[in-house]
Amino acid sequence: MLEIRDLHVAVGGKEILKGLSLSTAAGEVHAIMGPNGSGKSTLSYVLAGREGYEITGGSIRYRGEDLAAKAPEERAGVGLFLAMQYPVEIPGVTTMNFLKTALNAQRRARGEKEIDALGVLRLVREKAKALHISEEMLKRALNVGFSGGEKKRLEILQLALFEPALAILDETDSGLDIDALKVVADGVNALRAPDRAMLVITHYQRLLNYIVPDRVHVLSAGRIIKEGGKELAHELEAKGYAQIVKDAA
Amino acid sequence: MSALVLPNRRIENWKYTDLRNAIDPAAIESAPTAAWNVASISGAGEQNDLPEIMPRGKHGAMAEYATSLAKSGVFLRVARGQKASAHLQLTQGGHGRALIVVEEGASLMLRQTSLAEGFANIVFDIVLGQDAALSHVKEAPMAANAVRVADYSVRIAPGGAYAAHFADFGAKLSRTELHIALEGEGAEAHLSGVGILGEGRHADVTTRIAHAVGNTQSTQLFKIIAGGKSRGVYQGKISVAEGANGSDSRQTAKGLLLGERAEIDLKPELEILADDVKCAHGAAVGDLDPESLFYLRSRGVAEPEARALLMRAFLEDAVAEIADEAVRTELWSRVEAALAELSA
Repeated sequence: MLEIRDLHVAVGGKEILKGLSLSTAAGEVHAIMGPNGSGKSTLSYVLAGREGYEITGGSIRYRGEDLAAKAPEERAGVGLFLAMQYPVEIPGVTTMNFLKTALNAQRRARGEKEIDALGVLRLVREKAKALHISEEMLKRALNVGFSGGEKKRLEILQLALFEPALAILDETDSGLDIDALKVVADGVNALRAPDRAMLVITHYQRLLNYIVPDRVHVLSAGRIIKEGGKELAHELEAKGYAQIVKDAA
Repeated sequence: MSALVLPNRRIENWKYTDLRNAIDPAAIESAPTAAWNVASISGAGEQNDLPEIMPRGKHGAMAEYATSLAKSGVFLRVARGQKASAHLQLTQGGHGRALIVVEEGASLMLRQTSLAEGFANIVFDIVLGQDAALSHVKEAPMAANAVRVADYSVRIAPGGAYAAHFADFGAKLSRTELHIALEGEGAEAHLSGVGILGEGRHADVTTRIAHAVGNTQSTQLFKIIAGGKSRGVYQGKISVAEGANGSDSRQTAKGLLLGERAEIDLKPELEILADDVKCAHGAAVGDLDPESLFYLRSRGVAEPEARALLMRAFLEDAVAEIADEAVRTELWSRVEAALAELSA
């Protein structure tokens, strides 16, 4: 599904990713773990197509196509979704209106029929329930005045609504207490599917107790330095990043 | 040679808007009397000829020309305790006068539109009696070659409430002056407006609010979007007279620049001579937030649609000031069309 080869990415002229390679297949959940500054967020942003992230070498192929050539909205259209670490607050746009606009934009891009306001409302309500998202929250301006946990739950609601083929979760656990973490993890687990790949980016092993990955990759200084099964996350937690980096060197 | 001296940037009040660049003085002198059409009037609204003796408020320089050069005008009146709604349309430009009187305890919902495409210089006198209410929504359509100057003087008696929304979709030059006098305790003025300016447009809103007595309230919320090579101006001065304690005044003006060739000037001013007043003001000019734009695009919303959505969001609270739902909905449809044109 996703094939990253020797990827080099610079931000503001500074190289952050320095030859990162990674591949995921449909049905798999991969975790990318790394300390602060290792390039985790850069990887998620470059996959989503944010401006200012310059690919200076290597390639990203998604379902055999060159992802880098696509605009952010086109990537969403072909089934890529990034749950952001810091979802943006947009005053003046209600959450419900945003969900409807985004869902129908993606449906149009896929040549599917748009869903009317009532249909979207029904769909959103059904999915919001499991994530403990209230009607009141959906009426508020997008992410404005939302708590950290509410913002993350709204990201997962979008994941459930858009049903992407490739979901990237960037530090979805940050700022969540244990109850909120469980709600979010349950939401994500419910969306594990044979035709869907997930990339879970995290600093801590904690989230991976709830979203158990098939593969774990350790990112350090812009490269994957170690790969393994789910037990690698526990090893990291026990030894710490410094030791793993040292071992790998 | 014309003897008229047009307001220009050397005059403090016209610092950002120079009429000399937009129109020839001779064209102003020879302009006809503007034509009005009362497109609809319902309830207890009366339409009359202008009275011999006009109540005169405070006006700016161009209003003097309108007053002396307009040969006729329109006069709408709602008698004491009555309710009415009216749609006033300017059908032909030139010099125009209008008088709106809402008597004690009466209320009027006034929509004002324009079909004029050239030069228009209109002076409005609006008088609100005790506890009278006027809801005034003015729409100036996009007219590439129009030069429109409008000057509103609004006098508000105790307990009177004036709520006005001014939407400007762009002209070669547009200047709107609002002189509001809160003359009695409990008088209120709530002004809001949006400006959507494309290539070659210039729009200037200048407000002067005088809290002449205490326990009066004014709010202002103006939003301007400037694209292409255009210029938006808001200058608002609030004066609180000596002894006008308990005055409450809020003023917000925000500008959104869509490119490097657009310019927005915001100039809030306060002149407070009383001790016990609440005054809050804020002004800010910015660009479309790139993070918001990326967020929307990453969710599949194409760039032009995402930009339009953010622009709509920027204007949201100003348009929401229009209390009448039908009028508000209609204005939104025009705002959205204008935004679509701007982002295309």
